Amino acid sequence: MAQYYPGTSKVSQNRRHFSDPNEKLEKLREISDEDVVKILGHRAPGEEYKSVHPPLDEMDEPDDIVRELVTPIDGAKAGDRVRYIQFADSMYFAPAQPYVRARAYLNRYRGVDTGTLSGRQVIEARERDLEKFSKELLETEYFDPARTGIRGKSVHGHSLRLDEDGIMFDMLRRQLMNKETGHVEMVKNQIGIPLDEPVDLGEPLDEDKLKEITTIYRVDGDAYKDDKDAVEVLHKIHITRSKGGYNPE
Amino acid sequence: MDIEIFPYRFLSADTTEKMLNGIESLDDVKRAVIHGPRLPPDDPDLLPQYKERRNITVCGKPIELKVRTGRILVELSSEAALDEIEKICDENLKFGYDINTSRSEYIRRHKTVSDAIKYGTGENNLPDELIGLTDNNKQFADSVDFIDYDKVE
Repeated sequence: MAQYYPGTSKVSQNRRHFSDPNEKLEKLREISDEDVVKILGHRAPGEEYKSVHPPLDEMDEPDDIVRELVTPIDGAKAGDRVRYIQFADSMYFAPAQPYVRARAYLNRYRGVDTGTLSGRQVIEARERDLEKFSKELLETEYFDPARTGIRGKSVHGHSLRLDEDGIMFDMLRRQLMNKETGHVEMVKNQIGIPLDEPVDLGEPLDEDKLKEITTIYRVDGDAYKDDKDAVEVLHKIHITRSKGGYNPE
Repeated sequence: MDIEIFPYRFLSADTTEKMLNGIESLDDVKRAVIHGPRLPPDDPDLLPQYKERRNITVCGKPIELKVRTGRILVELSSEAALDEIEKICDENLKFGYDINTSRSEYIRRHKTVSDAIKYGTGENNLPDELIGLTDNNKQFADSVDFIDYDKVE
């Protein structure tokens, strides 16, 4: 059985929940395909996918056992470009955080490359597959309109104090609270280019729901030191690595 | 004595207005300064439902709020006002706050070399009551909205 994450706390349970591809994620909002394309900003809605090579069927590739074993994903089959979506997660009880995203992405999605940084996580894939993944990432528990930022660039803000309405700081002000509806709306795409029409991302999740689904250990939430099992596994890894170094023999 | 009110979130214009009016209504308060990152410049294309920049009214005087309030520094003439200030904070800052009192002064009271370079050394260039309220990176008129109690009716 795959071991996704140790621990007995709620946070560790949530981390396993995200990382296990057999667990179904709760859908919290509806965002149309067209809106996802607008947010990504890689092509105009309705525009054809640009390609970097002819479809695989039309290519005369040399015989190779790996090519026969691995079924290509749709985007690779069609020869799409590799594009990206990047998220910044606030330290204040955002549902996901970079390392959990990395584990979850690699367990859940095929044909992706992901990069972890302190406050953001990028995922790269062939364009049409990326759109499919992005829709899932935006509609499910991965995302909270206030605490998660869709930020292709200028990601600063994950460790800053929140605004009074719970929105994370964003120097490009892509996700703004609409005071009339109480919904967060995306007025610019992920790299900060203004959209013709704002995209409604829905209401921010309330604090109790966030604390229930968060994957972040915090002293004012679930403290890491209280999760005995997780700490024990960490100690074990630390000791075996220190003693064995990179050569366990 | 000086105190620093440190809210756990950045305050909106509405809460800033309520906090300042509450604090200013106390007799023991000598000066109060709000401190925080600047709000983005007014964007004429931004729809009104998204705007954060607006005029607030403090002591009956309209002031354009230029920063997102991150700290409120208050100079008190007596420690007795602390309870009152806590009451105002409890009422307006539901998400939590700290009141820091460990430093003897949070608002600077002495002229610095930077002040002298920016505003000159003459007494009229930077009156005593404005020391510590200025942002040396900005022009004086742009960075300080000062309400003089003596002139407020």
